[in-house]
Amino acid sequence: MSEPVISVEGLGVEFYRSRRRRMQLREMLFRGRTGAPRETFWALRDVSFDIMPGEAVGVVGGNGGGKSTLLKMLAGVLLPDEGTVTVRGGVAPLIELTGGFVGELTARDNVYLMGGLHGLPKSTIDERFDEIVDFAGPQVRAGLDTPYRHFSSGMKVRLGFAVVTTLDEPIVLVDEVLAVGDKAFRDKCYDRMEGLLAEGRTLFLVSHSEKDLRRFGDRALYLRSGELVMDGPMGEVLDRYNADLEAG
Amino acid sequence: MELVRRTRALWARRGVLSTLVTRDLRVRYAQSALGYVWTVLDPLLMSLIYYVVFVLILKRGDLGHQPYFLFLVIGLLSWQWFSASLTDTSRALISEAKLVRSTNLPREIWVVRVIASKGVEFVLSLPVLLVFLVFYLVRGHAHLNGWLVLFPLALVLQAVALLGLGLILAPVTVLVTDMQRVVRIVLRMLFYATPVIYTTHLVDAPYDKIFWLNPMTGILELMRAGFFRHDRYPIVWGAIGTSVVVSVVLLFVGVAVFRRLERPVLKEI
Repeated sequence: MSEPVISVEGLGVEFYRSRRRRMQLREMLFRGRTGAPRETFWALRDVSFDIMPGEAVGVVGGNGGGKSTLLKMLAGVLLPDEGTVTVRGGVAPLIELTGGFVGELTARDNVYLMGGLHGLPKSTIDERFDEIVDFAGPQVRAGLDTPYRHFSSGMKVRLGFAVVTTLDEPIVLVDEVLAVGDKAFRDKCYDRMEGLLAEGRTLFLVSHSEKDLRRFGDRALYLRSGELVMDGPMGEVLDRYNADLEAG
Repeated sequence: MELVRRTRALWARRGVLSTLVTRDLRVRYAQSALGYVWTVLDPLLMSLIYYVVFVLILKRGDLGHQPYFLFLVIGLLSWQWFSASLTDTSRALISEAKLVRSTNLPREIWVVRVIASKGVEFVLSLPVLLVFLVFYLVRGHAHLNGWLVLFPLALVLQAVALLGLGLILAPVTVLVTDMQRVVRIVLRMLFYATPVIYTTHLVDAPYDKIFWLNPMTGILELMRAGFFRHDRYPIVWGAIGTSVVVSVVLLFVGVAVFRRLERPVLKEI
């Protein structure tokens, strides 16, 4: 019996109701109040589950259910207010793919920087450079030495996806990135992800596309208003979710 | 201890840190040869302005060590590192929000990176100081001495003070929106409250002790110690000692504040 790669126990996160709870020094000084709304809600509460190595798990739920929040918790870019999140092993996060790129630098420099940010040594990037650029497509290859800001948004995402999926991390987190890019690129992404699964990586997928979820996930978590309603085989969870939707 | 654990985590990702610093320097210098000129031109022009105003117009050649221009250049180069670091650390987390949201790095790295980049810029601007030093040495005005060994200590101390302040400013600015403006104003005032264009000897006792609380007072004493004769204005060891204590305290406070605010900050970003 192997250890779970992801253990979540009693996880809870509390957010402020208004999107920004930002304060202003001016208000604090002159009006004697912080200007911060006090009303809060729990984006996730009492969520517990374990994921074993090699599992492919999809997250199902409507908007505001807490799907992306959960993904951020696993990626370690949000910290829980309650409970614990334990992730054993590195994570390749397919979240905000283009965030690390600098518009002023060339695409080539950017690949090295982004790879470096995710912990790949330069020699490894050298080895995989061609593979990355091939995956990103001929347009990207043609523009390798032009500043990254001249790229179209599709090219940017493709390059980001190519870099992050070459990481060796055992856990892959995917947040709706498959929604972008044209059909040809989507097919390539599907192939790449199936390849990753076949290698025994653990996949954690957030998507609104039932097709994607069925294709990649064997198991699903159903989140509704921050509560884990159901945890089971993908087909059954989707049926329950659809039934809930119809019931309104 | 938490501090040790955090430092270790940061050390483990030092490769990423050097990647980030390289990126900053590239963006700064690779664009144009002018990039380097800009970083040294600003403090040099300011030195020139103060020299013209105080020495040529107001006829006060005794505001600091002689040669006064060299005194100004050291002060303004160091001040540029200080003020640029604080301006940038105060938006360190905001301006890299996308990266902070998508990479699981020790969050302190975004602050350390700014101070390191600006520190490297400072070191790269030292050849300019060397040029002026040689010029004044040849003319027999400058007096190099053994206290030059204190210069590296000043670098370390300034980095420590900046780290402490940066770790406080970065998360606070995310939560308090008008903080960046406040930082700008305070920095402008602090410039005149720091012995950059004058020496603390000119401040009457007991008020000079208040200046000691500013860590930059001691840091500038350390930096300048090796370049001048100290017959008229001896080295102020009290300011240096206070500066060491204040800087270390700032670092501890900074680490504590950053830890405390990390959770709410991540939700806001």
